[in-house]
Order: sequence, then structure tokens, then C-alpha cells
Amino acid sequence: MTEQTKPWLESRLPIGQAFRTHIRDLPLAHDRPYLAALGTLITATVIFLLLSGFVLSLYYVAVEGEAFASIQFITRGVNDGWLIRSFHACGTTMLFGATYLAIFRALLTGAYRLPGELVWILKLVFLLLILLIGYLGYALIDGATSYWSLHQATTAGGMLSGFPGAISNWFFGGPAGPGTLPRLAVLHGLLTFICLGVLVLHYFAKRAIATIPAKTVNLHPHYTSHHFVAFAVFGLIFAVLVFFAPHLGENPLNAVAANPLVVPAVVTPPWYLLPAGAFAGALPGTMGGIIAFIAAFAVLFAVPWLDRSKPGALPSGTYKTLTFILGLDVIALSLTAAAGPSAISAILTIIFTGWYFLHFLVLTPLVTAGETK
Amino acid sequence: MRRLIPALLISAIAFTHNARAEDTLNPPHWQSQGTFGSYDKAALQRGFLVYQTVCAACHSANALHYRDLTALGLTTAQAADIASSVKLATGPATLDDAFKNPFPDPQTAATAFAGAIPPDLSTIASARPKGTEYIYNLLTGYATAPDSMTLMASHYYNTAYPGEQIAMPPPLKDDAVSYADGTKATVAQEASDVAAFLTWSADPNLDARHAIGLRAVLFLIFLTILAIATKRKIWRGV
Repeated sequence: MTEQTKPWLESRLPIGQAFRTHIRDLPLAHDRPYLAALGTLITATVIFLLLSGFVLSLYYVAVEGEAFASIQFITRGVNDGWLIRSFHACGTTMLFGATYLAIFRALLTGAYRLPGELVWILKLVFLLLILLIGYLGYALIDGATSYWSLHQATTAGGMLSGFPGAISNWFFGGPAGPGTLPRLAVLHGLLTFICLGVLVLHYFAKRAIATIPAKTVNLHPHYTSHHFVAFAVFGLIFAVLVFFAPHLGENPLNAVAANPLVVPAVVTPPWYLLPAGAFAGALPGTMGGIIAFIAAFAVLFAVPWLDRSKPGALPSGTYKTLTFILGLDVIALSLTAAAGPSAISAILTIIFTGWYFLHFLVLTPLVTAGETK
Repeated sequence: MRRLIPALLISAIAFTHNARAEDTLNPPHWQSQGTFGSYDKAALQRGFLVYQTVCAACHSANALHYRDLTALGLTTAQAADIASSVKLATGPATLDDAFKNPFPDPQTAATAFAGAIPPDLSTIASARPKGTEYIYNLLTGYATAPDSMTLMASHYYNTAYPGEQIAMPPPLKDDAVSYADGTKATVAQEASDVAAFLTWSADPNLDARHAIGLRAVLFLIFLTILAIATKRKIWRGV
């Protein structure tokens, strides 16, 4: 096609060309597992959350003491407001479920191994971002546990000095007060767009290291029909949650408006923040919590270099078994955090956290060192 | 495949049929609790009467408005009558007024009840694990304290309350209300009905949620089957 015969728009803004180069004409492997659709599902879910969140923001009042009532109004007084709210809450559950699964899959299959380290790091950056956004969304509910969690976080943050204190001050804007919820609401929406940006980077980073498959299929109808199945199953699980378990994994104590005079018995976050909360609770004090949380993520970031396998080696059976045990360990740690503080849970937290670090710092280098191509 | 679709339809009909049954007292059972359950509107109306006559003297339900009562099966005129019988500071309540708050602020309530603030009841049923049963067990759980136990001042022994001491005096008694439908107003009946009402108050969209949900899930199961069949056909020979 010459420049003259190209359509007006295409010759000035080659969107069609970009679509063909970056999506349609890619060499697509013929033996693609369904779990490989997780990236597309995650991207679709983030966009879905942006849209449902936008609709909610039209009625949500970001004022401490009024926010909870405004959500009650959305679920009772706004046409189909309860449905949009459940979409947003259960969409979050689906997003975290898919992200945890994708990260677990990357660990299990050894996808993080060189040259996949940047793809792996971008996955972790995405997880960190959605953890932060998820926490902000949870704080915005202004229910009993939301309120106390936010107040404990800002109070603890306010006592920090130096760089951590500056970060806390920059983020929360000082102790929780009238300005806090509007600030968090803006950050909640803004960071979601940055999330989308990270997904785009992840897509291109993954493409850059992809090997050309021996046997390829077309985007349409092969990959579209493949994604159709993935979306249908994902949608089915989502619908079961929205209509039959809209509050799955939430602390029931957060279903009442915050009372500044009464601290709830157990201030536990929704399920998807539990692993992060559990690590933060593993060491005493605010600085201890921050150090434990950073350490837990630092070992994840370091996995490509803790792994001592030869280039091109596939994960051994022992490594895979250990990775499954790690998955169970993180689930057990989260359940311990959900049960609330007690003498037994303090011991269990130390055991489960200890195993987590043992897995990455000792077992991973030992087991992978023996793997050859 | 051919056997699956009729089986799904039959189970759907069975579930929706089940959802039309009534709440029962022996054993305590609420129709809203099943996976596809829906509210027994007669029980909700009786429960509202108990709430209005007994609970509302001390407890607020700030999220509820008088217009919401039409969801219990009352007509708009009946709801308006109920509203106009309530005296607010500004005059008789209207459909768009929130349920009357018995105290102007939490401090007044705390003063009236020696420091114990009666909680808002709008969402109490979702704020407790197994909220419906909990409310029923709490309201029927008053008993004479065992000899080994010393109660705190102005507290009552209750088997369902955490710590077994509650500041709320036994609120229900036989014939505390007189039901329009002739149901005998025993303490257990009143407790069961008000538990149903507060469950509705915490989750007023349950009926619509379950009705839409059943159709949505059946549709998505069908869509998933179609998607798998399509994919298999397209990928044949790849």
C-alpha cells in the first residue's frame, strides 16, 4: 500500500499498523495453557474496576463519618447501586485471585529465571501497586475496621522519623483527619491508571524475551476462542461471588459504621491484604512491621538471583513440591493473621514467616543449584 | 450435554419453589438463608412491628427510610401511614425520612444507659457471624445466671452474648405486640420475626440478588459449555 492509498487516519496515526505488529501478527504458540490467559483477564479486570469505581465515585462521599452512610445510600437508594458495589468488591477479589495465581505460576514454572527477571519484577511491582490500591479502597469504606486500621496506620506513620516518616506524611498527609479520605480517594483512582501502565510494560517486556514457537496459530479464531473459554469461566466464578457471596473474605465487623469511641475486637483486613498484613505483624513495632514487609518483598524481587540453576534448566520435581508447600505456607500465614492476635498465633506467625524466608534464602539456592538443562 | 440442560432447569425450578416457603419456628429456620433463599414477607412485616414497638425505643436504624417499607409487601399508602404516625422534631415523618433516631447523639444514649450505647441496627445482622441466628439466640438467650457467676451492675445473663453478660434488659415478652395476621406472639416468634426483619435491613437486595444470580449463573454455565465446544471445534487439527 502506498502512502497515497492509505486511509486518512492510518497515514497520520498508524493504529492499524500497531495492532497488526504488536497483537495480530505475533507468532502465537499452538500449545497455550488456559492459565496463560491470566494476563488478559487481569487487564480486563483492572479496566472493569476503573469503570465500576468511576460510577461509585459519583455517589461516594469522601468525608470521615459520612462515607459509610454514602455507601449505604449507594446500596439502598441508588438504582442497581448494590450491583455496582458488588461488582467493584468482587472484581477486586477476582483481581487479587488472578494476580496471586499468576505470581504463583511464574514461581512454579521458573518463568522468573533469566532472562525473565524484568517480567517477574514488573509482576511484583503490579502486586505492590494493587496491594496499596486495595488498602486505600478498604480504608475508603470507613467501616469500623477500615477506620481503626487507617487511624492506627497514620498514628504509627506519624511517629516515624526520617525517610519512612516523610513517606508516610507524603502519602497520608499527616494524622487521619478531614483531609484524609478525599486524598486517599484521589490516590485510589490515580494509582489504578499507573497499574494499567505497568501492565503495558509487562506485556512488552514479556514479548521481548518470547521464543518463536515451532508451531503457531492465528489470533483469530484460535486465540479469541481460547480466550472466550477463559473469560466465560472467569465470569462464571465472578457471578457466583457477586450474587451468592458478595462479602466473601471481608471482616463482618466492617459492616457497621466506624465509631470513634469503640475499637473493634479484631481489626483484620479483607482476605487479599492478609498476606501483606501478616508479614507486617511478624515483627513487633511499626519499624519492625515495615522491615518485615520490605524483607518479604525483597526476597521475592531477589528470586531470579537466588535461583542457582543453569541457563535454560527446567524446574525439578523437588523445586515444584517446595513451591506448592510455600503456597500453603502463605495461606496458613494469612489464616493465622485472620484469626487475630493470640499467644498461639504469635508462635505460628513466626514459624510460617520463618519457613517463607527459609524457602527463598536457603532451599531455593540449594535445590535449583542441581538443575541442568 | 442433552441430559445436563434439563437437569439444570429442574434444579432451578426446585430452588425457586423452595424459596417461596415460609420461615418456621420449630426448628428456627429463615427462608432467606438458603443459597437461593428469599425473604418471607409476612415474617418481615411482623418483624417490623416488633422493631417499631420494642427495639426502636432505644435503637436507631439510620440506613432505613420509611419508603423502604414497601419492600416488605406494604403499599405506599400503608408505609405513608406508618411514617405519619412517627413524630419527629420537625413534625410527622414522611416516606423520605430516615427511621427516627431515639437519641439526638450517642452521648445522650450513653448517659441514659449508664455508659452502654445501644448499637445502630441497620446492618447488625451482617456485622455478626451468622447474624440471623445470633439475633434470635440473643433475644431468646436470657436466663437466670448460674450461682458461680457474679453479674456486673445493670447487666443481665445471656447465653448467646460474648462474655454472657449484656447491658440490654430482656426486651421481648409474650404478647408484647399483637400481630395483624393472628400469629401467636410468643417471645420465640417475636425473636424469629425481628431476626428476619434485621436480616432484611442489613441485606435488602437479597431477593433481587438471588433471582438475578440464578439466571446469570445458568446463563454463564451455558455460555461456558458453548465456549468450550467452539474452542474445540476451531482448534481441531491444530
